[in-house]
Amino acid sequence: MKHLLTRLTLAVGLAAPLLSAHADDQVKRGEYLARAADCMACHTAPGGAPFAGGLPIVSPFGTIYGTNITPSKEHGIGQYSDDEFFAALTEGKRRDGANLYPAMPYTSYHLMPREDSDAIHAYLKTIEPIERAAPVTSLSFPFNVRPGLIGWNMLYGKALKLESGEGKSEAWKRGQYMVEVLGHCGECHTPRGLPGAMQLDKRLTGGILNGYLAPSLLATDLAARGWNQQDLSTFLKHGMSAQGTMFNEMFPVFHNSTQGLNDQDLAAMATFLLGDKPPAAKELTEVSLDKLSPSAQRGRQEYLNVCAGCHAAGGEGKPHIAVAMRGNTTLRLEDPRNLVRVIEDGIGEQKFAGFEHMQPMPGFADKLKPEQLTDLLNYLRQGWGGQSAELAVSDVQKLQADAPAVEHKAH
Amino acid sequence: MDIPDDLPMIDYLHEYKNLTGSRLGCGQGICHACVVIVDNPDGTSEEVRTCITGAHYFEGKKVRTIEAHAKRDESGQVTELNPIQQRFVDEFAFQCSYCAPGFVNAATVLVEKLQRQPIAKSKLEQVIEDSLGHHVCRCTGYVRYYNATRNVLTDLGLVKEG
Repeated sequence: MKHLLTRLTLAVGLAAPLLSAHADDQVKRGEYLARAADCMACHTAPGGAPFAGGLPIVSPFGTIYGTNITPSKEHGIGQYSDDEFFAALTEGKRRDGANLYPAMPYTSYHLMPREDSDAIHAYLKTIEPIERAAPVTSLSFPFNVRPGLIGWNMLYGKALKLESGEGKSEAWKRGQYMVEVLGHCGECHTPRGLPGAMQLDKRLTGGILNGYLAPSLLATDLAARGWNQQDLSTFLKHGMSAQGTMFNEMFPVFHNSTQGLNDQDLAAMATFLLGDKPPAAKELTEVSLDKLSPSAQRGRQEYLNVCAGCHAAGGEGKPHIAVAMRGNTTLRLEDPRNLVRVIEDGIGEQKFAGFEHMQPMPGFADKLKPEQLTDLLNYLRQGWGGQSAELAVSDVQKLQADAPAVEHKAH
Repeated sequence: MDIPDDLPMIDYLHEYKNLTGSRLGCGQGICHACVVIVDNPDGTSEEVRTCITGAHYFEGKKVRTIEAHAKRDESGQVTELNPIQQRFVDEFAFQCSYCAPGFVNAATVLVEKLQRQPIAKSKLEQVIEDSLGHHVCRCTGYVRYYNATRNVLTDLGLVKEG
């Protein structure tokens, strides 16, 4: 009997640390998964406490505020059970049964396995509870009628399906989960239809967000813009590569999410995006000045006037100051929208890992006439972007008119 | 005048016009020691950084450099500083003076802006910060620049109660 008791004591004594080690592992895994799922991006206001909510998310239906997901019982998710958390994550159901707006990407997260949801929840329970209510979202009629989302959810809530992994590498399969589910990349990089739902037949072909293009992530399009797997994972890890730096909406994604992912997962994401047999990255051929269109030739002087001071006369850029124009991924986009927007809006100072940073870029909205901007765009795109199409002033004016009404400062 | 396509404005001022008052500091558009004032056709004025802007950008534009502010006699000698320059001197706003031309031009643009539309006293601190805050000074720590600017704006009657 005594012998048995000793063994039982020993077993209990061993079980406690084992359970605790399991819980620790789960929390660590949850922290990593929360980073991969980029919860921080929407649930943290600029300068605010982590996960305390308050970030305004501008949508065509009104402004939606990220909620407090700290373990505060009153203002956060402190009273959520694992079941309730899983329902919120994958079905867009709040604890009180109300529907969350699909700014919460349950349309992607619904493919998350329960164990990953539980791990994220376990991690969120360990962070400091912030006893502060996030601003309340109040959309105008009819979008303020949350039950109206029942029909929407039936149609679109779980419409996204993963591609079969048959014949694909393990990296590809992991990459698909990282990109499509946790990273919910498609939520921005997919065009949205009238009811605000992703057009899944055009999955990852690019979407518009606050006046900027979230470019196509299809393998052929990425390769056409000069991307290979190594550069793509470097870009996700460091926020910069030979093709330029992360900017605009991707800058916080890099900061809060991709820079903290392990190399294996980043490589998996690049493998999924470019495929197990990636198309060759398109190389740029040098175009001499005399081969450029008259508009592009005039644009060279505009470039020397207002760009070359930082991006260098030859377009090679300057380390820690400004990115190279030669081969820059934004110049290589067929759609000139982002180039127009970034020249007009400028980019704030960018800080990367360690001491790396890029200086702020001023906006030139009131500095360049439409004709000058058009010449500059043609010079950049034809000279260093591999684009042969000539932009007309009217094309550029149309894009200028399409700028978001809200003042927007890209990161 | 025939000048190279890629000549920065700061080099044009120094090398072609012998106007050496505008300072080349960082050379990357950060310190603002090199700014000149451009007078726009609509009557407004603005600062433009000459270290990162090509000389050809200024073609057809009216430009004022630091040399333009003081009154001079026929021989070109300075006889009277403008109120901003004088105040910066009186209040020891700068020490080494490397940043001073940029600060004077920024404060001049601010004075001209407030001459078009005076500002309430309660907004004064913010407007000075917004107008001069991007200029870098490594000597005096900005407080003297701030105080001198606040005093000159008040003396010139550009600040309303409220």
